[in-house]
Amino acid sequence: MVHKELLSLYRTMLVIRYTEEELARCHQKGLIFGACHTYVGQEAISSGVCANLNREDPIFSTHRGHGHALAKGMHPRELIAELFGRSTGCSRGRGGSMHLFSPEIGMMGTSGIVGPCILQACGGGYSSKLMNSGCVSVAFFGDGAVNNGAFHEGLNMASIWKLPVLFICENNQFATEVPFSYSSGIPDIGRRAVNYGIPGFEVDGNDVLAVYQTAREAVALARSGGGPTLIECKTYRTRAHAEGMGDFTYRTREQVEEWKRKCPIALFRDKLSKEYGIHEQILSGLESEVLSMVTESRSFAENSPMPEAATAALHVYSPRKQNISEEGLIERKEPSRLITFTQSTHEALSEEMAVNPGIFVLGEGIGVRGGNFKTTTGLYEIYGPVRLCDTPISERGFVGLAGGAAMTGTRPVVDFMFADFILDSVGEIINQIAKMQYMSSGRLKMPVLLRGCIGIGHSAATHHSGSYYGMYAQVPGLKVVVPSNAFDAKGLMKHALRCDDPVMFLEHREILTHKCHVPQEDYEIEFGHAAIVRSGSDVTVVALARMVHLTQSVCDQLEKEGVSVELIDPRTVSPLDTKTILGSVSKTGRLLIVDEPPAACGFASEIAALVADSGFDDLDAPIRRLTGAFTPTPYSPSLEAVVIPTSAEIANAIRALVKE
Amino acid sequence: MQEIVIPRLGWSMEVGTFVGWLKKDGDFVKRGEALFELEGEKATQEIEAVDEGILRIPVTGPKQGTVHKVGTIIGFLVGPNESFDQLSGSHLHSAKLESNFSDSLLASPSVRRLARKFGVQLSQIKGTGPRGRILHEDVELSKQGLSSSDSTLDSPSVGESTKKRSLVSTPRARRLAAELGIDWRQLRGSGFAGRVRECDIRAASAQFNQPASDSKKILISRKRRLIAQRLMESQKQTVPVTLTARVDATNLVNFRERFKIINQISPIPSYQDIITKIVSEVLKSNILLAGRWQEDHINLPSHDELHIGIAVDTEDGLLVPVIRDVAGLTIERIAVRSNELVKQARSGKITAAQMQGGVFTITNLGALGIDFFTPVINYPETSILGLGAIRKEVVVIEDDRFAARFQMSLSLTFDHRVLDGAPAARFLKDLVSAIAGFNLSDLK
Repeated sequence: MVHKELLSLYRTMLVIRYTEEELARCHQKGLIFGACHTYVGQEAISSGVCANLNREDPIFSTHRGHGHALAKGMHPRELIAELFGRSTGCSRGRGGSMHLFSPEIGMMGTSGIVGPCILQACGGGYSSKLMNSGCVSVAFFGDGAVNNGAFHEGLNMASIWKLPVLFICENNQFATEVPFSYSSGIPDIGRRAVNYGIPGFEVDGNDVLAVYQTAREAVALARSGGGPTLIECKTYRTRAHAEGMGDFTYRTREQVEEWKRKCPIALFRDKLSKEYGIHEQILSGLESEVLSMVTESRSFAENSPMPEAATAALHVYSPRKQNISEEGLIERKEPSRLITFTQSTHEALSEEMAVNPGIFVLGEGIGVRGGNFKTTTGLYEIYGPVRLCDTPISERGFVGLAGGAAMTGTRPVVDFMFADFILDSVGEIINQIAKMQYMSSGRLKMPVLLRGCIGIGHSAATHHSGSYYGMYAQVPGLKVVVPSNAFDAKGLMKHALRCDDPVMFLEHREILTHKCHVPQEDYEIEFGHAAIVRSGSDVTVVALARMVHLTQSVCDQLEKEGVSVELIDPRTVSPLDTKTILGSVSKTGRLLIVDEPPAACGFASEIAALVADSGFDDLDAPIRRLTGAFTPTPYSPSLEAVVIPTSAEIANAIRALVKE
Repeated sequence: MQEIVIPRLGWSMEVGTFVGWLKKDGDFVKRGEALFELEGEKATQEIEAVDEGILRIPVTGPKQGTVHKVGTIIGFLVGPNESFDQLSGSHLHSAKLESNFSDSLLASPSVRRLARKFGVQLSQIKGTGPRGRILHEDVELSKQGLSSSDSTLDSPSVGESTKKRSLVSTPRARRLAAELGIDWRQLRGSGFAGRVRECDIRAASAQFNQPASDSKKILISRKRRLIAQRLMESQKQTVPVTLTARVDATNLVNFRERFKIINQISPIPSYQDIITKIVSEVLKSNILLAGRWQEDHINLPSHDELHIGIAVDTEDGLLVPVIRDVAGLTIERIAVRSNELVKQARSGKITAAQMQGGVFTITNLGALGIDFFTPVINYPETSILGLGAIRKEVVVIEDDRFAARFQMSLSLTFDHRVLDGAPAARFLKDLVSAIAGFNLSDLK
């Protein structure tokens, strides 16, 4: 290594150390509002790894991420300002210590949750493989992450798909305050790589040159298509888990002092001066230059403005694209064909894959097999195994990967088969995918399409019949689509595959073979535009998916009885077309919401509350909900039949409402 | 300590609108000083202090523009050595009137407000809410003299058999009711347990012949409401019969023309003034027409109590100022007096006292070209005379000759309870003769 590179490594470590020490002081003075996890003692690892990376190589980090951000090239100004909650911070004040974003320099974010960074790095690797970009992704994580499912799922996926990923485990010996020696059956981590069939190393994490050298070889392997490497860097943090926390309930002062003597910066300085003969003057000059830069950065941060309160709700979603017609609907054109719900979404996916090479599908059995519900039939033959990627049964793993892929510029479609399986990955969806655009202040886009079948019927029993859209609609950042017919499904899926937001696309299994007229031409239905399925004047019924069909089946009979029903299908639960619903209730004065899942805190309750809040004076009768029973889904047909609303119940509920 | 109460300003006054205090809390008020202003049946009146003392207005005292029942205590006149605090004053106030501040009663602020509005005592109500909390419905029921136990809510069949008013309505129905000016509480609801719904309001609106769209609305003023109440009262209490007659008014016209030439200073008496005078004379021998039906007797005025009201059309509606002791006045004086009263009535300066005590009323639509009509008795009087237009007409006189004479129509409405048709007809016949043969010298 030439002196310039050595000094660059030394400088990076200094930047981290001085910045962390400044932050510790600032924390004590109350300038930092939330948590502050310092990287003191571990500087050699991120400095040694990042020295091998290009600007566009993405890294994914943890709650102890200051050092990763600085090593990847973030200026201390941006870091300190973020912890001070300023608008000049790297996340514009939305993140703080545990949510540092600078995608411009490949700093894809730190996380308050342990594990996701491993999966997101796999996603970065998948993007690299799909787009052939040559980028290498790096996951930095602590010893606490390696006993988490994400570690297993992530390393396994990276192995089987030979993803260009470095898994850098910073073993600082404590998962918060729980010793690794307690948490693991074997004391070392690097050797676990063998189980996944990938190279693994165990290096001295306080020796920057050792880290640098090992990472260098791993990066080269990854860039050449050789797949991932696990590198365990044994180290120690010499400050408390978080600033302000007690440190000696789980370890002793002596232990900490012992590790301070192994300070990676002091060791490296010694080596620079003794082995490489670098003058003291150069080193101390570098030290004072970095120190004054850090001091200046702090005053920059302190002088920066707080973000405008009025911007708090910005970046939850991507800005709306302008090229969609106001009604969200291209006019139906003839000739249209009668096709099924499944055929319509297949068309939408296939057409979009043809024009967007960034789209790839992840799922169990969606490759050669063509999908359990024929969602991808024939696409494998056209687009191949990288774009039609069969997965192990690792829901959390491939959803986390999908998040990382979206962060790095591709557009994953996750095909869950049954939406019940989504629950295994819900942390990745809610904590990561849904929040990423906001936390990165709109600089990351998250075009992830998550699709799966919902709905009760045919004795699917309780693990193949859940809906859960009410729950997902509670999450800011997610969009939730529940189509009721082939025409809507195609237009909505087209929109999902063109917008930049994460979309939960839930398809009711019992209507997949329902046919309707779908035009040949390309069209798109914007989210948040309800369909008035049937106009009427006496009662407004709001329903989704199969319940739309059930309600429709009783409307003619009711019409004969003199009851005119207006049936509204919101089509998307989030965003919800409140205007159309309120408009209809203002006309009819009566509202019934028919919903298949149980009522509690759900879609029906939300609409009831909406109308009670904003349409109270329009009401000529109490709002009624007709929902499924508050039970898991039973198997036996006799039990199954009574836990969901029936057409007879819907008709009676409407009749009763008219008499209220 | 003396209580200040809302006084009754007219025979039928049940409530008054408090206009404002003329003294401040803490002022020393002498007997006879104007204390506050109150709007009664037809006019705003200054109310004089009947006692002496320091005015103390409790914190729950009346607000400007609020309506209070007659007898409501609105303040106190306190002696110089008496102590008073506004809070305990308010206790007294509410104890006598409403007892709504007893803290042992569970009732929300809005329920207490409703109770005050209805003048209902919370202590008399059995609450049906949790832990005996008094609910809106309880107050509403109490106002109607019902308790919740016989509420129509619980037993629709009871609602079927009685004409109880509705207690529950939908928000949509209330909004529409407000728009159409319909009191939904007066309707019987067609919804669950009698709930008033939009369709009930629309049905009521159609019944009132008020198209829901494109129609304009004017708010009913307090004065209009009062007039309506009085007319309704008259319809309810009397058995009105109207007799009509034609009268030769030529002498009347000639007299008035002569008066114009002779006397140019005092106001020219109108036909109405002259007839007022003639009526007072004719009433003397037909005194039942000026009688007043009481519980067990008919009150008959003496000759110097022949106070005759004259109907005046004003911007605020019909007012009836009273000319006192018509029998004791000359026609000239009557003209002066009626001129004054009309002016005062039209400028809103007329007092309630000036409109009280009449025994007979004259109303005149002749200037508007009306001949016969059916005037409504100014209850509790017994009769009202309507004057028609004076027209020059061809009439048959002696020897079957035709002549041009001034003719006039008279419409007399009388209360058949007080007297029968014949005596009323005799009065009208006497009046016709007196007018036709009018000669100033006949009147003293």
